[in-house]
Order: sequence, then C-alpha cells, then structure tokens
Amino acid sequence: MTAIPTIETRRLILSAPEPGDYPKFKATFTSYRARFMGGPLNDYEAWMLYAAEIGHWQIRGFGMWMIHDRETGATCGMAGGWQPAKWPEREIAWVIWPEVAGRGIALEATHAARAHFYEDKGWSGAVSYLDPRNYDSIRLAERLGCRRDPEAPSVDGTDVVYRHPAPETLRNSQIADAIELELQSHAGPIFGRREEAPA
Amino acid sequence: MTPIPTLTTPRLTLRAPEARDVPPFTAFYASDRARFVGGPLDAEGAWRMLAMEIGHWQIRGYGRWMVEERESGATAGMVGLFCPEGWPEPEIGWDLFEGFEGRGYATEAGRAAREYAYDVLGWDTAVSLVKPANTASAAVCRRLGATLDGTFAHQRHGEMQVWRHPAPEEVSDGGMEAYA
Repeated sequence: MTAIPTIETRRLILSAPEPGDYPKFKATFTSYRARFMGGPLNDYEAWMLYAAEIGHWQIRGFGMWMIHDRETGATCGMAGGWQPAKWPEREIAWVIWPEVAGRGIALEATHAARAHFYEDKGWSGAVSYLDPRNYDSIRLAERLGCRRDPEAPSVDGTDVVYRHPAPETLRNSQIADAIELELQSHAGPIFGRREEAPA
Repeated sequence: MTPIPTLTTPRLTLRAPEARDVPPFTAFYASDRARFVGGPLDAEGAWRMLAMEIGHWQIRGYGRWMVEERESGATAGMVGLFCPEGWPEPEIGWDLFEGFEGRGYATEAGRAAREYAYDVLGWDTAVSLVKPANTASAAVCRRLGATLDGTFAHQRHGEMQVWRHPAPEEVSDGGMEAYA
C-alpha cells in the first residue's frame, strides 16, 4: 500500500484520511455545502465517496489529505490531488467544512499540497476544475495564482478549468509572496487584532 | 494503511485490488453482468467503485479481494467482505467477470472469504445480500449452506434478499460444507 505522507504547515497538519474523520466529511457532503461537488449526497453515497478518497491514493499514488487544526487536532476539510477516471489532468482540489470557512485554511492547505506535488513529486503543473458559480473556490484559485484556461478540456463541460502556475513560474514570484503574506496574517494578526482596534 | 492479506484456495488467489484492476473492473461495470450490483456504470463510476473497494479495507479493516485464476493469472472477479454505511450487517459478496461464471469460483472464493471472517476476524455470523432476480447468486448462497432470512430495502439498491450463512461452529464441523 502507498504510504500517505504527512505535511505540516503553520496552523495545519495534512494527513491520511482516517475512519474517525468521517463524520464531518459526511455532514458536509450530505449538505447544501456540497452543491458544487456533486452533492448533496445521501448517507450511502457519502460513505462510498469517503472510501474512494482513501482508495484514490492506492490507484494514483496521490490523493486528498484530511486537514487538521494543529492545535486542536479537529478536522477542517480536505485538500490535495484528485484524478478519477474522467479527469483530463491532475487536479488540485479542496473542500472546507462550513464552520471553519473564512480563515485561509484552504489556501494554506492547497498551497502546501501544491508545493509537495511540485517539489517532492515532480509535477510540472496542475489544474482545478471549478463550478463557475462557486465564487469562493474561484477566488481561492485566483489567490493561488491560477488563470482560467479556456483551451483546456473540462471534466464534463459544466465546469471551468483554472490552471495553476507551473513550478518555475511560482518560485520566487509575486504570487508566492502574496500567499505567504496572507498566511502570515492568518497565523499572526499583523494587521491588528479586533480587540486592539481603536474604539 | 492496513495491509490487505492474500488468501489462496485450490484454484484461486484472492489478493488486494490495485491500479491494474481498473480495466477489468470497468469492463465488468459496463456490462449487463453488473445489473444486480448497482450497474451498469460508466468508466468514471467504475473507477470510483474500485477506489471505494480499496478504501473500504482502510475504514473497516476488511473488504473485498480481486479473485485471480491461479493457472492463467486472469482476474476472474471480486469477492469478499463488504459493509458500507447503511448496510444491515457485514456481508459476503461476489462478482464474477464475463467468462468466469459456471466454474464454482464464487463458491470457492466466497467460502475462503467466510473462513477469513470467522477464523481471523472472529465474526459470529454473516449474510449475503442478493437481488431477488439474481438467481445465480442465490444458487451460490445455497451451495455455501446459507438460508433465506428475510429481506432488506436499501436506498439505492432497492429490495434485496438476506441470506444467512451457517454460523462458525456449523461450518467448522464440516456439516454444511460437506454439501457444498
């Protein structure tokens, strides 16, 4: 079996999805939150998808990690690589549980996952297939430096393809600096904490 | 990751599902043979199903094996232990690929899977779920000594027969097995 590596970032630990991590996955995928990811699913479909997330690693040698808060250990969502049969290219994908959205967790996790694929796995690029109505994800793709690629084949014509900057483009780029700055601001509130703001 | 054990029977090897099983698995799910087990499915659905079968091992600690015909090395089907969310209880299931039916492979592999469930995992009972029209699968249940024990309605698969296998002590004394 392919061993699933663990990735640590400032605030997060990305590790293999475990059986105990399933409840929050199920809650998200059986909810309206999953509407841009083929959902909402019923209980059976959600479980089958979770098992497939794990099996994906064995078939492709890469896959989606479970994102944990470093301090509490609580799960926050999933991020990583995804390429089932119909996917034209390797995708960098993410899903964040609704209750922890807005904290830059997806950015931090996808940035780390992409760095792993580029630097440790030799990927020369990646795409993200997004629902054009999924503004949160489109915004994240743009923060990651992705550009819409209208020439690239999509999964089924209902999604749009965002192409990630290649490793050499990303290295020492303004995008990389911007990501770093945004993650710093989430980790240590250099822009001023709310309670310190002038009255 | 939980390592997936390999089992052997007189004619078959039961081994972990892997990436190389995508083509035969996809062909099976594209065919009419998959009509009793949630198919037919397109290539995407079949791929996800195989990924699910592998992930099942990690979640439950058991799952289904690819069945290989030892003499030819050909992949003959998928047999083993299965219990996704919403299943009434853990079951022993079998799918034979095109061209491998009629040789007793489902019975042979199903028996090995049952022995593993009883002897290694310590199950004290086991069932097999069969769609009412799937007479070939019901015949395998009978050959394994299972008896009809009610029905179960699943949210996707609809109504299924529940076949109850002989308990571990009934199997180990050779009583039911002798008739298989």
